[in-house]
Amino acid sequence: MSARIRRSWLVVPISKPEEIARAARSAADVIVLDLVEFVAEEDKPGARGRVEAAIRTAQAGGAEVFAQVDRELFVADLHACAWPGLTGVIVSQLESAQQVADVDGLLADLEAKRGILPGTLEIVAGLETARGNQAAYDIGRASARIWGLTLGRADLIMDLRPEPSGEIHLMPYLMQRLIAVARALGAMAIGAWWRAPARGLLAGPDDTYQAARRGRAIGFTGSPCIDVLQVEPLNRGFTPDAAEVAAAQELMTAYRAAVARGVAVVEQGDSLVDRGSVTQARALLDRAAAYAARDREKAEMGARPPLARP
Amino acid sequence: MAWRQVRRSGLTMPVVTRRFIDHAWRRGCDFINLDLEDSVPPHLKAHARSLIKGAIPVVRKGGAEAFTRINHDYVHADLEAIVWPGLSKVNYPKAESADEIRLLDAVITRLERERGIRPGTIEIGANIETAKGVAAAYEIASASSRVREFGGGSGYDMSRDLGVEMFVGFEQFAYGKGELELVARALGLQVRAAPFVANTTGSVSDADRAFREAQAARKCGFRLGGGLNPAVVEPQNRGFTPTAEDVEDARWVLERYRELTRTPDTWKVIDGRVIDGYEAARARDTLEWATLCAERDREKAAAVLRTRTAMAEPMSPASGVMRGDA
Repeated sequence: MSARIRRSWLVVPISKPEEIARAARSAADVIVLDLVEFVAEEDKPGARGRVEAAIRTAQAGGAEVFAQVDRELFVADLHACAWPGLTGVIVSQLESAQQVADVDGLLADLEAKRGILPGTLEIVAGLETARGNQAAYDIGRASARIWGLTLGRADLIMDLRPEPSGEIHLMPYLMQRLIAVARALGAMAIGAWWRAPARGLLAGPDDTYQAARRGRAIGFTGSPCIDVLQVEPLNRGFTPDAAEVAAAQELMTAYRAAVARGVAVVEQGDSLVDRGSVTQARALLDRAAAYAARDREKAEMGARPPLARP
Repeated sequence: MAWRQVRRSGLTMPVVTRRFIDHAWRRGCDFINLDLEDSVPPHLKAHARSLIKGAIPVVRKGGAEAFTRINHDYVHADLEAIVWPGLSKVNYPKAESADEIRLLDAVITRLERERGIRPGTIEIGANIETAKGVAAAYEIASASSRVREFGGGSGYDMSRDLGVEMFVGFEQFAYGKGELELVARALGLQVRAAPFVANTTGSVSDADRAFREAQAARKCGFRLGGGLNPAVVEPQNRGFTPTAEDVEDARWVLERYRELTRTPDTWKVIDGRVIDGYEAARARDTLEWATLCAERDREKAAAVLRTRTAMAEPMSPASGVMRGDA
């Protein structure tokens, strides 16, 4: 399951059909239909009725589709979202294992009622509060559906503000904690290492790319974003670049030659190549190949570059 | 927010040093922390205890709250000597277990009743200064409702316990500070934390640094200060108090947010800034804090005026406590 390629998670409000259509052409790996943050409270009932159609629209460019649901409104939201074609749900502001169990149980019911293969619908746990982060490990163990963990908008929900250094207060700690917990669970950590002032809603393509590269360096595999122009920098930032691939190939070649000579350690430049570095190089090449295959798949599905911003 | 205390600045001072205690009220502090611990030599501990009851009203003459830092190893003797009307908080150093906090709570509860103090008045400051304290942080912070602010995780004791160096110019306490802050937030306590500002000198009297640190902390959303040297009091008061421009900016944000709520959008960008519910909440927080700071400054100024009048001493601009009244 963790082999899924999910570098860019473009979040769009379900209440904005034109944005969903635009997102479908954005080359995002995942489109997140949001029922939480970007839909005004009074528009939510109407928006819930549009999810089934929105899933089909969002899939047109080859993206997987998640729905972002409100933990406090999860019964109404899951009924609105759990339709064939949906890959999973991001549940915002989870704070306990019991809440995950409740979501898991309702997803199982809805799968049975709506002709979805049991266990199909995945959960990404949104850990956006202090309690949620405190209970991260228990939350992550509470359901076999948990595919990933994300801090989501923790910086805003926990009111974490920029430090003089540009780091968002407490985020370096929370990111590393999340990643360690996720890997201990065999799950993925979703996010990027944003720095003030160019972050989140206001980050341009270059800052988004840097946030993705820093994020990849500490263990994130993909990140949410809010603007179609952030999709390409995220895809690129989370994908090994040509120089990294070339270096990995060179390393593999040197290692194979060494093994043929009967040794499993070889000097390459001033570094030493052994099984550890080979394992890493092979993982990087596998990932690069899988990303390239995913990009071809999306291209075949008719994804187009995003429209220029008006 | 239920929390109404304003604790931007405070001095920790040995209760045995008479001239510090006598002049404490002139410093403009929001609180004074009377020390029985590291600044009092062992042979003077008993004498120091006997001074606390008299020192409490003396250090409060300028409107400051009075705290006492006790000794980790002399809880009973120290508490018997310090829990008197006028004390706001007992600071307990090197807290390492929930049992310690429960013991403090039980003794303070009894003493409050015996001595006519409204039950629950006296806070416990659970100071985490060791690795064991970090490991037990959640249990410690949730052991008593008297623990109302929590955090820390750095300082000389922690540095000695962990074997890390002080004043290295990078954040050497990232893990422990993160743990403690997460615990404080998870329990809904007032967070004692600060953004990292490199300090390679260890100076305790650098007024410019104190101001920069306080300002950076306030911009990060933090409110709790304190120090060891009178030179940092006024810079901390100033750095933690929102400026007139901050207040004006917060009003502007709230006005833009009110306009936004009349549209179907949940956010928009104005002049390169995001306006949304989160920014509105921060703006309300700034306005509320500015009001609390102004109230606190008026209280302190009134207390200083009363004291000077009683002493027939003329007002002096040097005290600095009138600043917030302007």
